[in-house]
Amino acid sequence: MSEKRKKDISRIKELESINLATEDNRDLVVQTKREVEKDNELLAQRNNEELKEYNIKSIDVVGAIGAGKTLLIEKIVEVLSKKYRILVICGDITTRVDADRIQAHGAETIQINTGRECALNAYHIHQIIENKDLNSFDLLFVENVGNLICPSDFTLGTDKRITVVSTTEGEWVIEKHPMLFKMSHVAVINKIDLAERLGTDIQKMKDDAKQINPNIEVVTTSAKTGLNIDKLIEILEL
Amino acid sequence: MKDELKRLEQLLNEKDLDLGKIKELKSNLLKEHIKGLKIENYIGDYPTFMEPVILGDDVRIGDDVLIGPKVYIGKNSEIEDYAEISNSIIFDNVKIGKNFKLNNCIILKDSSLNFDNFSSNNCILKGIAESKDSLEIIPI
Repeated sequence: MSEKRKKDISRIKELESINLATEDNRDLVVQTKREVEKDNELLAQRNNEELKEYNIKSIDVVGAIGAGKTLLIEKIVEVLSKKYRILVICGDITTRVDADRIQAHGAETIQINTGRECALNAYHIHQIIENKDLNSFDLLFVENVGNLICPSDFTLGTDKRITVVSTTEGEWVIEKHPMLFKMSHVAVINKIDLAERLGTDIQKMKDDAKQINPNIEVVTTSAKTGLNIDKLIEILEL
Repeated sequence: MKDELKRLEQLLNEKDLDLGKIKELKSNLLKEHIKGLKIENYIGDYPTFMEPVILGDDVRIGDDVLIGPKVYIGKNSEIEDYAEISNSIIFDNVKIGKNFKLNNCIILKDSSLNFDNFSSNNCILKGIAESKDSLEIIPI
């Protein structure tokens, strides 16, 4: 087996699955996976304690590519930048496109290009807050990498997590991706302005979110028109 | 930024190092001059960058590398697989081996650290070294 092939397999084992482990290294792979998960949890807890020490409210925004996370944050920042000093950490595979868009509305932004990683983790956030003067901020948003699956493996240590889906993703999107809704405080169903034209069953999406997590708050928005952005801000107690 | 880097390089090349001044200039560089994400001309396969990071031309970066926050890497340097670098300045034509973890470090121009698995905090590194033992490490 080539060196490259060995490395690829080793990477899959580390990040995704123990199923590819051979008999002789299965224990090691399982143990490593557990340790990574535990370390992330501990670090997330530390992040939250540190942010609280500086009275910074923090919110992680997750959702698939194109769900409207960036525009939602732009709209929220537009309203709240008069009241709070806002820092936004943007996770993307590459580029600074989202950070530049959000920055134009009055928040300071930090871009993390995750390269081949499909989600931010607690260590990324830890490194940023360790190197930032936290006295300069009251509110932190984290825009996670566009993905409805991977972020469920990594909590970041924020106070709240919002999962954003859009009507263009179809009414089964919540039912098919329960993990993130299970661990979120708010479910945003965005692009509501397109629902009628697309024929998306919004009630099913709301019911699915509540069935997966009875404590989740559900809000329908149109980041494009600004509909219910005020309601979302209210739900977030900002 | 170029002037500050040049000044830092001059200080690092003096016979008697003024570590206080070096530390001050390094902190100032990282705080005031390394801003944003200037990573256009690197050679590699999508490493992780945490802003702020500035890379010179033709920096070669291996797999599973995490760079930032607050990192400058000069032109033609080579960063091998699994490296993690934060709060550091690496000058031109530097080579480091696999699995280096560096925080708050400076590596002098033309240094070549030809070994793997090394971790260091708050230091100046220089020379051509085939092992950790033959590397010149100056704490700052």
